[in-house]
Amino acid sequence: MSRTTPSLRRGPFSLTRMPSDRLLGRLGSYATLVALALFCAVPFGWLFLAAINPRAGLYLELPDRVGPDNFVRVFTRADSLRLLTNSLIMAGGAVLLLLVVCTLAGYALSRYDFRGRRALLFGILLTRVIPPSATIAPLYAITLGLGLVDTYQGLILVLAAQQLPFVLWMMKGFFDTVPIDLEEAAWIDGAGRIGTAFRVVLPLAGPGVAAAGLFAFIGAWGEFLTPLVLVSSPDLWPISLGLFRAWVAYTLVDWGQLAAISVLYMLPAIVFYLLVRRYLLRATVLGALQGTA
Amino acid sequence: MIARRVRRPRERLLVAGLVAPALVLLAVFVVLPAVWAVAISLTNQALTGVDARSPRFVGLANYQRLLSDDDFFASLARSATFVFASAIVGQSLLGFLAAFLLGDRRLRGKGLFSAAILLPLVVPETVAALAWASMTAPSEFGTLNRLVGLTGIGPIRWLQEYPMASIVIVNIWRGIAFAMVLFAAALESVPRELLEAAQVDGASVRQQLRHVTLPLIKYAILLFLLLTTITTFGVFGLVYFLTRGGPAGSTTLLTVYIYEQSFRFFELGFGSAAAVVMLAIVLGLGLFYVRLLRAQI
Repeated sequence: MSRTTPSLRRGPFSLTRMPSDRLLGRLGSYATLVALALFCAVPFGWLFLAAINPRAGLYLELPDRVGPDNFVRVFTRADSLRLLTNSLIMAGGAVLLLLVVCTLAGYALSRYDFRGRRALLFGILLTRVIPPSATIAPLYAITLGLGLVDTYQGLILVLAAQQLPFVLWMMKGFFDTVPIDLEEAAWIDGAGRIGTAFRVVLPLAGPGVAAAGLFAFIGAWGEFLTPLVLVSSPDLWPISLGLFRAWVAYTLVDWGQLAAISVLYMLPAIVFYLLVRRYLLRATVLGALQGTA
Repeated sequence: MIARRVRRPRERLLVAGLVAPALVLLAVFVVLPAVWAVAISLTNQALTGVDARSPRFVGLANYQRLLSDDDFFASLARSATFVFASAIVGQSLLGFLAAFLLGDRRLRGKGLFSAAILLPLVVPETVAALAWASMTAPSEFGTLNRLVGLTGIGPIRWLQEYPMASIVIVNIWRGIAFAMVLFAAALESVPRELLEAAQVDGASVRQQLRHVTLPLIKYAILLFLLLTTITTFGVFGLVYFLTRGGPAGSTTLLTVYIYEQSFRFFELGFGSAAAVVMLAIVLGLGLFYVRLLRAQI
């Protein structure tokens, strides 16, 4: 039964039933999917409409006048501009650091075997399940002891460490897909082992490395609890803290500007996910998504 | 297996050097805090005051206090409810439904549907929370109130009157895609021939699902349930942003409890004791998860 007639080879819904039954079933699937999609998308309606509404409030409404005023304010006011740059510095710094250390470690773990390598790999994966929300108090004590509280460096190091297990696993996986024969050919030509790794392997694993970097960026970019605890000076607040403090202040909020920042804040996440969609499953199994909670 | 065995000492040094930076980073900022939580939980370490500078060893006193603290058990129970209702029931069912329906190859608009479902998961959690702050706004102009207003029901103060149900729904909303991605891959792996054979034998969609599909993807289901339980237990920002644990502590999950004890009441030692309990639960589940994955890879 490996080949059947074309009419049977469609989806789980193409049953050989009465046409009216089928029609009803298809209508049902569309209705269900539309309902699910609406449930998922409608909460964002206010954010997008308020962002382009110069006189926005907290409620979903069609703007009388559409204009970029809120975005202009975000980019011209020092405090909101600083939120954006702080988030960029922290997430960007964390990703750069991660790309360096995980390229080195990922390559080593892919190419060299040693005693305890498997245990090490799975030990690293196990650390992924440690929720930052559980270890936040000792983390604060440790960063305080190292003099890293309320600094960019501190936050960059911690954000990088939180994303590390996942990035390392992804990188190791991508290096595994590059055949070692390619390297061996280069060695015979007299190239050094590490030089070869960079010139031959990295370009081939490149797209995967970039994807791992993007996932890590999104994780660090959206992080809320870590800066909440490790940063107190408003000069260092990332966007997540800016949103939270504004929401807590409530009555003093410029909702339009808040919505505009939020839209800018979610934009990289949306763009990146479009880029790395095909790695979504791997990322999910390794627990990258929601892992920042 | 692509890796070569390391023999020469020079090579050993090289490998150690390559792996060390990553391991140090992980050890200091992820593993050490977990270990340190156990150490601090045995002291009266505080955030401010005398006990901050020179904490004393207090043995298991923090744990004894924890055992007699009703608020702690209440927060644990809330976390369990939150995990069960939002992740195990809500996300699983809706995520499976989405994956199953989107698996139909003749369906149009697949990209649009899955993009909409993915959106809540990919945005930063503070944006997700803010979006729901507007949804659940208590006045008659709040989006949800306008919807229920159509049926004549007066404005509801969602986060005050139904706090737990609200955060459960918000978390279901955020996690449908997570389940969908995993289940979609699992459904894809079910051999088409088996379903066709069942069809030819006259099995209905429901029978195919029950006797062919589900038994074949039960491993993926287990994996998802474990993963989502672990991550949902750790949820903090989404809930804290919206309710800050209130009203009157009714949405104080275990994570919120730990945060409050440590940073609002400044009792790092006591907060860490609660954190150790949470770590034990999560690591237990995590070991199971890694073992499952290990059998696969």
